[in-house]
Amino acid sequence: MDLAKTKNQTNAIGEVKISITLTTNAYFLSGLRDFTMTFVKNMTGFGEQWAYRFQTVVDELASNAMEYGCREGDQIVITLMAHTDKSIEIMIEDPGHGSKKVTAEEMEKIYRNKLDLYGRGQYLGIRGRGLAQIVNAWSDKVTFENIDSGGIRVRVIKSFKENNSQSKI
Amino acid sequence: MTEAIVTITDLDSQNPNIIAKAVKIKGQLDESNVDEKAKDIYKVLESVPTGKHVNLLFDFAELDYMNSKSIGYLTDWYSRITTDGGKICIAGPKENIVDILQVVGLTQLVTCYQNFDEAKAYVLS
Repeated sequence: MDLAKTKNQTNAIGEVKISITLTTNAYFLSGLRDFTMTFVKNMTGFGEQWAYRFQTVVDELASNAMEYGCREGDQIVITLMAHTDKSIEIMIEDPGHGSKKVTAEEMEKIYRNKLDLYGRGQYLGIRGRGLAQIVNAWSDKVTFENIDSGGIRVRVIKSFKENNSQSKI
Repeated sequence: MTEAIVTITDLDSQNPNIIAKAVKIKGQLDESNVDEKAKDIYKVLESVPTGKHVNLLFDFAELDYMNSKSIGYLTDWYSRITTDGGKICIAGPKENIVDILQVVGLTQLVTCYQNFDEAKAYVLS
């Protein structure tokens, strides 16, 4: 299939790494969410509540990559890595073809500024909650890296804790 | 495009100054459809005659997913409606929807009722 390619690797210590190359079109986000749900439920020790949360994390990061890091016809790469009962790692790469070029360092600054904004109280704007409110809340670490293609890789890591396997709501 | 069906129905209000409506959203709201679906709600807000206000009940019982932009729209509707003296609430949201509304702090602004009739009583009062 040209529009979405999947690569699946499992190494000797049981880590699973799956990469998906997706053409820039919001139409594919629904399928990406379904895939993430299945991956988290079957390949990690995280429970259903966290499967929904990671579904949102992937959706928000992929939407941002398509909107700010791509032009029409570009592709983004989504990589999910499961270290069973240890952590999940999510990486999203864009080609850096957005209308305004942003480096990883600038992205880090934007992210920190938004964290400060939300820390000051209730935010009532329409845009801007995805990364700094949702992804930040549901991860342990968010980092930005410049990649050779000229784009950015956003990497999110969430470590497994015993209570992450149970739904609390 | 991801499927989302928005159905808007009138709720019988005894107060002539209140227009009460139930907005049922079924399916998933994401980047592929939310801007288009949001227009239906803005049309309702824009159709309110001067001197009256609108109370909206969002029936999320069959809403499976909402992204950050759809939460942004919900926040904007909350601001517009309450600024004009109206009320807004949510009925029947699934656990994953409550979870995301909580993480952005929206449950502090918009009351969530598990029961549709309780939500209806709130917007009609």
